[in-house]
Amino acid sequence: MYDTIVIGAGLAGLMAAIGRAERGEKVMVLAKGHGTTHWTTGCLDLFAEVDDPIAGIIQLTDQRPHHPYALVGLTMIEQGVARFRAICEAAGYPMVGNFNRNLLLPTALGALRPTAFAPATMINGDARQLRDGRPTLIASFGVLRDFFPPLIAANLRAQGIAAEAALLALPPTGRQHDFSPVILARMFDQPDFRARVGEQLAAFVRKGGYARIGMPAILGLKHPTEVVRDLQNRAGALIFEIPTLPTSVAGMRLYHILENALLSLGGRMQLGGFVQRGEPLKETLVAVFSEAAAREQRHTARRWVLATGGILGGGIRATPEGHLRETALDLPLQTPDSRSGWFAARFLAEQGHPVFQSGVRVDRSLRPLDASGRLVYENVMVAGSALAGFDPVREGCLEGVAIATGWAAGQQ
Amino acid sequence: MQTISTDVLVIGGGATGTGCALDLAMRGIRCVLVEKGDLTHGTTGRYHGLLHSGGRYVTKDPQSARECAQENAILRRIMPHCIEQTSGFFVITPWDDESYGDVFVANCHRTGVPVQEISVAEMLRREPLLNPRISRVFEVPDASADSFLATHSVALAAREYGADIRTYHNVIELIRVGDRVVGAVVEDLRSGERIRIDCAYVLNAAGAWAGKIAALAGVTVTVVPGKGTMVAMNHRMVNTVVNRCKLPSDGDIIVPIHTVAVIGTTDVHVPDPDVFGIEPEEIQFMLDEGEKLVPGFRQYRALRAWAGVRPLYKDKDVASDRDIPRTFKLLDHEERDGVSGIFSIVGGKWTTYRLMAEQTVNEIARRLGNTQPCRTASEVLPIPKFEHTRHATVTVSPDPAAQTPHYWLGKPLALVESQHAAGDLICECELVTRDRIQAAIDAGAHNLDDIRRDVRMGMGPCQGGWCIYRTANILYERRCADGLSHVHTNEAILHFLQERWKGLTPVLWGDQLRQARLDELIYYGVLGIQRLRALAEPGGGLVTQHPAIATEYVQA
Amino acid sequence: MDHIELSLTQSLDHCIKCNICTAACPVAAVTDAFPGPKYVGPQAQRFRHAAQPVPDASVDYCSGCRVCNQVCPTGVRIAELNARARAQMVAERGMPLRNRIIARSGLVGRLSCGPQAPLVNLTLSFAPARWLIEQVLGIHRHAPLPKASTYTFQHWFRRRKSTVAGRRPKVVYFHGCSTNYYEPHVGKAAVAVLEHLGFEVIIPPQRCCGLPLLSNGDFPAAQKHHQYNVAQLLPFVRAGIPIVGTSTSCTLTLKEEAPELLGLHGDDVRAVAAGTYDIFEFLRNLHERGELRTDFRSIERRLPYHPPCQLRAHRIGRPVLDVLGLVPGLHLDESRADCCGIAGTYGLKREKYQIAMDVGKPLFDFVQASGQNLALCDSETCRWQISGATGVETRHPIEILAEAYGVL
Repeated sequence: MYDTIVIGAGLAGLMAAIGRAERGEKVMVLAKGHGTTHWTTGCLDLFAEVDDPIAGIIQLTDQRPHHPYALVGLTMIEQGVARFRAICEAAGYPMVGNFNRNLLLPTALGALRPTAFAPATMINGDARQLRDGRPTLIASFGVLRDFFPPLIAANLRAQGIAAEAALLALPPTGRQHDFSPVILARMFDQPDFRARVGEQLAAFVRKGGYARIGMPAILGLKHPTEVVRDLQNRAGALIFEIPTLPTSVAGMRLYHILENALLSLGGRMQLGGFVQRGEPLKETLVAVFSEAAAREQRHTARRWVLATGGILGGGIRATPEGHLRETALDLPLQTPDSRSGWFAARFLAEQGHPVFQSGVRVDRSLRPLDASGRLVYENVMVAGSALAGFDPVREGCLEGVAIATGWAAGQQ
Repeated sequence: MQTISTDVLVIGGGATGTGCALDLAMRGIRCVLVEKGDLTHGTTGRYHGLLHSGGRYVTKDPQSARECAQENAILRRIMPHCIEQTSGFFVITPWDDESYGDVFVANCHRTGVPVQEISVAEMLRREPLLNPRISRVFEVPDASADSFLATHSVALAAREYGADIRTYHNVIELIRVGDRVVGAVVEDLRSGERIRIDCAYVLNAAGAWAGKIAALAGVTVTVVPGKGTMVAMNHRMVNTVVNRCKLPSDGDIIVPIHTVAVIGTTDVHVPDPDVFGIEPEEIQFMLDEGEKLVPGFRQYRALRAWAGVRPLYKDKDVASDRDIPRTFKLLDHEERDGVSGIFSIVGGKWTTYRLMAEQTVNEIARRLGNTQPCRTASEVLPIPKFEHTRHATVTVSPDPAAQTPHYWLGKPLALVESQHAAGDLICECELVTRDRIQAAIDAGAHNLDDIRRDVRMGMGPCQGGWCIYRTANILYERRCADGLSHVHTNEAILHFLQERWKGLTPVLWGDQLRQARLDELIYYGVLGIQRLRALAEPGGGLVTQHPAIATEYVQA
Repeated sequence: MDHIELSLTQSLDHCIKCNICTAACPVAAVTDAFPGPKYVGPQAQRFRHAAQPVPDASVDYCSGCRVCNQVCPTGVRIAELNARARAQMVAERGMPLRNRIIARSGLVGRLSCGPQAPLVNLTLSFAPARWLIEQVLGIHRHAPLPKASTYTFQHWFRRRKSTVAGRRPKVVYFHGCSTNYYEPHVGKAAVAVLEHLGFEVIIPPQRCCGLPLLSNGDFPAAQKHHQYNVAQLLPFVRAGIPIVGTSTSCTLTLKEEAPELLGLHGDDVRAVAAGTYDIFEFLRNLHERGELRTDFRSIERRLPYHPPCQLRAHRIGRPVLDVLGLVPGLHLDESRADCCGIAGTYGLKREKYQIAMDVGKPLFDFVQASGQNLALCDSETCRWQISGATGVETRHPIEILAEAYGVL
């Protein structure tokens, strides 16, 4: 019997679990596997579509009282982010930025992407610095198929940044092929490897007078801060990372940091089996069953946090007939009225696709409600992208809502 | 305006038009082919990929059945690299009329379609997932065919024989002097430049668009665009073509082609071959029909849906579009309409494209006084570079079956394995290496959609999630010296994402909906492509926006 | 529930190509001979055809550790897809003699165990002999081979006097090859604990569970073993008697691997699967029902513990930590390493030995850094690998539990 079982191992679930474990509770995170943390940029998007995220959130709270941010309130958002940053800081991986002004960081296409907090390894790429007229080099390896400097540099130049592109020679390793971002990140953790890369960077800096060098976010899996510091010293220029396509090394770092934090607090993680159903007793969730070899495993806890994500995370699934279902506990969902209302005609339509705002409606304590507003479970809280009424990708608040609601679920 | 002159101007870069160009060129007749989009941009690139045995037509359209049976054998010989020898079943399910079985067999014998009844047990041994309640099974030599690759091979051969093949050239005007068509004005969609082409004959091989071309010459050709919707499923639950043994109707065939199984088709009359939608009911109907052949069909993952328009020629009033004969017809407009210098080849189907070309070119050659015989039935077609010419056979497996000149499902995997190219895959789902992408670009691809058709980039489960980004960058790096800039590349990405989205929305549920959301996270969230909209415009030799090639999907 | 409705092969449809599995794969991390679980699993599977030649061989570098299954967010049965692909390859191309030998752990055990054991062990510890074996058979000279026992566990069990009397609840003990031929002490500890808890222990005739055959791709032979075991175990299961095992790989095979890989879904096979428990899973269930004796002696020790891949594949959490956590004074430090590398017989093979050692390195570092002279692990081949690589004695956790109960 656990005090709290958290279902889902993303940012929301891990923050909730850490919060509970810090209160001395016996906590377990139960999840099918890794997820959204491994696909995102590794930055903390709070509210990307405005310059001042907090001002935007305050406005949002007035306009959309059912938005997850409005439900948990500003204090919880700030506390959650602060705790998250403290954990990262303690792990030697500081998240830099602020609540009142979004950074603008280059993407792997050379677009400038707003985010509130970014790892220190990315911070030197802030466009406001890059526009100081001093030349920036975008560099990568030809063998890496997830990062192409020429187009990034060209797009940055078109936005007033003096950027150029270069390909580096891959230092010899035991490997002949298969250089994924994760494989390369592990190589950067090796001092010899980065010394060889550092020499090349220094040569480019000597020749081109670059003030900064942007590289794919593969600069170490275990010791990225140290790797970047070392490369800067060797190159004689500032280095910044640019997030790559999934699997995202920068995202994996955050996952490992939070996982370590939870385990060192005595929390438990169990991955591998879907949670398939719950066992209710009136308005209390008594147990859940997870899929396991030959039979289900029954888990009991006093309190539960559902943080399985939305359609992306796997917490919500659609049938061919056009029904949406919450996968773990079969909670009622708030969805568009019919399948014909799921999508916009254009993939990148401004308003996004309504189906992705589907989720669980909750009260101010994040407890699930049914269509008529009645409480479903008094001892379950829902956090993160499983919540209804917002689009984490389009609103640029994926990590922010996960951390704020996860933290809130861990406190109440 | 630049003027060029030739003997025959072929309009249409589908199977029929390129087939005609090759036949003309082989007989030493000068020809220019113009196609408003890419090769196979029209119906050839949007069908299910069945090489007909003829079985589907033995009862309703025996002439077509006979033609299919003959051409089936010829195509296996001249383009083995495009054909996978899947074989085909006609099965009687509990929903079908049991008595049709004997009629079917008798009609196969009558039309020369090879047929053999096999036991249900044997069927289940070979295809364990088929419905065990199927009562009778007839095997015919159906196969699956890569119509993209086949058309490229034909075009390659035609070029080698001197044909001038121009894609992204749209016919603006047919030039008529009195009652004679003497040429055309075409627009190069990449540059906007207009070119005049003088010719002895215009050959209208525009398929479903033949009526629109004929109208430019002032003659009426009624082509009924018969929309056929298809759904590609993520993997092959059957490795044999499976047909319902009944008169052809909707959702009655599953074709395993490359890595997918295509279920098709519907047949809906649409007024315009460029404007149609895919209705949710069509999809649900086909899933239901799929269940009858493969129980559990609905649980499989659907990848995408698309529709092609059959070029059905309506000679006289017929009750239903399905009753229009599937055979083809060569229209001599001098005889028919009093307008000389132009022929239209209409109707037909992919399997008989070569025969259509042969008969058409026989007629034109006769008029031109050319007495060369047709040789297209005997010359083996070349293989385009982007299709691994050097590795047509694979030696990874000791099994002699792997050495077949025919396509086999494991071939791309065997090639990647033998080249240790796993880390160099640009499209991971369809195992497309960087080399092949580059070869397709160097062969003249005009946008990402062309590369997709050439090498199947973006056609697998992730529908371009990773490979659109990678391919666009490779395109940029390879062509930036030729004037392709970042704005054109950004536009190419935006365009291709939207093209994929059209085919996705009808089948978004389950895993494919999750995939679409992941792709949205990648392009909207991680890459921020929408922030580059102001830095995106058509051009640089890429054709991404032009009314002439836009297919408008009507939102259902 | 639609996550698992698709069959094993069809589960490839769940893959959304995110490469989380490849990022986590301990084998792909150390060698480029293995292109990674997504590549050889759901991706390559779309190009495989039961009636066509096998197009790829690199799937043979999958060690079967199932880390991919564990981290996959969508539920693709990657490791099982790989195992089946390997079986098709073996069916087509045949199996090397080496694999045929090491896959038959029961036979090898029978030949080594008994009065001749000291001689066998001496020979196998003799470097020139190991060199010769490597040359002839392709078993790496440094690969960890267990020491054969001079007596079998079954022999001991038949001759012993049961300490329990009267009507007791019964439990079947599936000991597996390793306990029988190499580590009878593990079985003795299990019997002692179960009897201390008041059970009558039954040991029916049993053969190798077949896992080594499955992981080397000899499915027909594995199927024979499984059918024999099911026939032997079924009457007990039908009578409501649970089957417990100390080998996490044997119990996993009975529960899931054999039925799934071989496509055996009959009632008998399902019943045996549903009646089989890892011994600590069984003890944890007892504890949850309040039926576990907690008359432990205090053991003031801090020991490194590695939950083996085969246990993680049960997807039942960490029953050893749950149960041994009840022992006063005992503290287990759980290893975070993915895999010890050996993966059953994988690391014995000449061409894979170094891969296995590289995969296991984080674990070896962890065990050595603990400074303890004893480590715990539930799986036999992992214990041999850890001991071989670190020199630290590695025991089954049931032996510590027996000590805590004071029954050894």
